[in-house]
Amino acid sequence: MGAPRPAEGWGAPQTADNLPGGLSGTPEAARSRTTAAGTRVRMTQVEGKRALMDNDTSKPPKIACEKICKTFIQKGTQQVHVLEDISLEVFDNEFLVILGPGQSGKSTLLRIIAGLETPSTGRAILDGREVSGPGPDRGLVFQSYMLFAWRTVLGNVEMGPKLQGVGKKERREIAQHYIDLVGLKGFEKHYPHQLSGGMKQRVGIARAYANNPQVMLLDEPFGQLDAQTRLFMEKETERIWQAEKRTVIFVTNNIDEAIILGDRIVTMVGKLPGRMGPAYPVDLERPREPTDMRFLKLRYAITEASELVL
Amino acid sequence: MTTGTIANEIVKSVRERKEFSLLAVIRNEYFLYLVSSVLFVLIWHWAAAEQVLGKSLATPYAVAKELARLMTIKLAGLTLLGHIWASTQRILIGFVLASVVAVPLGLFMALNRTVNAIVKPVFDLFKPMPPIAWISIAILWFGIGEASKVFIIVIGTFVPCLLNAYNGIRLIEPELYDVVRSLGGNRKDEILQVSFPAAFPAIFAGLQISLSIAWTCVLAAELVSARSGLGWIIVQGMKLTKPELVIGGMLIIALVAWLTTLAVSGLERLLCPWKRHIEGL
Ligand SMILES: Nc1ncnc2c1ncn2[C@@H]1O[C@H](COP(=O)(O)OP(=O)(O)OP(=O)(O)O)[C@@H](O)[C@H]1O
Ligand SMILES: [Mg+2]
Repeated sequence: MGAPRPAEGWGAPQTADNLPGGLSGTPEAARSRTTAAGTRVRMTQVEGKRALMDNDTSKPPKIACEKICKTFIQKGTQQVHVLEDISLEVFDNEFLVILGPGQSGKSTLLRIIAGLETPSTGRAILDGREVSGPGPDRGLVFQSYMLFAWRTVLGNVEMGPKLQGVGKKERREIAQHYIDLVGLKGFEKHYPHQLSGGMKQRVGIARAYANNPQVMLLDEPFGQLDAQTRLFMEKETERIWQAEKRTVIFVTNNIDEAIILGDRIVTMVGKLPGRMGPAYPVDLERPREPTDMRFLKLRYAITEASELVL
Repeated sequence: MTTGTIANEIVKSVRERKEFSLLAVIRNEYFLYLVSSVLFVLIWHWAAAEQVLGKSLATPYAVAKELARLMTIKLAGLTLLGHIWASTQRILIGFVLASVVAVPLGLFMALNRTVNAIVKPVFDLFKPMPPIAWISIAILWFGIGEASKVFIIVIGTFVPCLLNAYNGIRLIEPELYDVVRSLGGNRKDEILQVSFPAAFPAIFAGLQISLSIAWTCVLAAELVSARSGLGWIIVQGMKLTKPELVIGGMLIIALVAWLTTLAVSGLERLLCPWKRHIEGL
């Protein structure tokens, strides 16, 4: 026993333990929460083995979602119930991955944390204060890039500092730093339509970073890339994150991406409304190899559990 | 072949040396342009010389000769260039007057519900009216001088200018505003950094449409009543039964209208270097 797995309420995947090369024991302190519907959702939270991670769970969380529900009201009466009782915590400098299938409300949750959407009930908390709107302390990277087509790479990346009223020379320097960091040196004067998908998303990441946010929110940033470019961008994301540590919430529907990147993986389950599934700590040293036995074992555990739930 | 790495993604650029072959020449687009143009003129000449359409089709040569004659001889006190300028001037005045009012109005309607609610009912009433329907009332109001012609052009170009500016803003991806807000911008930043620049291509599309409508309007106005302009030349050709004058006038209109369109697209390229330009028809 001791492989990362959901707490017993979710039906522990038996087979995962039969695989060779089991994960080293991870003491898990599971806290239970009771949802409005009365079902018990157990949260796993890692304690010990902190050496592998830089985040610190002894301090209060950087971000907390408290029992967030979201219902969209469409055209008068029609209601779409998208999120049901979402509670999670993200710690300073932690790389948290939210893993869930399409339509499970991942984007909506991220937009609530970004302050672009208000929860119907519950609240999102950043540094102990309730989120009441978007702000430069949270950098957002969009699934569909959302670059300013009329601005060059440099113009896109310097937009944040520009809106903050940073002077021209200084914001050029900031933008250049992040353009170099994401590996786009030499492309400063290119317009978005002249870039490949991977390069566009690098611009998106640099643009979010250039505002020096405390938290990076990435919404399926590599969803539109081919498998090879995607793997490469995941490695790049890891490199960039290690160069400039931030608290990261990374949304994806790809298990491998989740395990490669996450300090911790929180799953979302269900077709409307989306609910919290089990959480998994990822106690694997970086960089992670998708062929590593422990990687595969964790992958197996997550797949198994999600099949039970879906 | 050169290989380089751009942002660690391998980029290859291949320069092919094209081999000379007959097939390549035949399929070359410029060659085909030439073939189709020459063919058109030949068929035209044949149809005119054989009098397929009776005597009312002039040969290309007769048309060219007539146009050359008009360059030196004055018709109603103006050479051909003078008539071209008379029409173009009307268009420019009407077109500028309309777009200077209609484009900002369309932008404000799209950005502000109140402005929209005030303007929309009146606009919706005038929108479906063909501009030519205004000719009679324009002559009653402004007489047969310049004012009535400019008025028709203003009426005709106002609608597409406003409509395209409006749609240009309405079609903006709402998430782009989210980007600005999440970077710390306010409503003013949203408008200045997203709404206006993103609407630029649509505004220019509106200007192009307006321009061709402006030519229709000015010709219609000149056909009804004028003492100068390309429309008047065509009417003269009809009255004097000179098909070469009518066809010459039509060709000159096509040429000048094409040049004004080029000017607007040139301006667009200058102001929107970020747009992926396509070779439209
Ligand atoms: N503004 C809105 N109004 C109405 N319904 C909405 C709105 N935004 C999202 N929804 C609905 O919420 C549901 C979840 O959407 P969301 O984009 O959060 O899912 P997701 O998990 O991010 O999916 P994907 O992986 O496909 O991006 C969808 O069914 C969508 O139709
Ligand atoms: Mg989504």
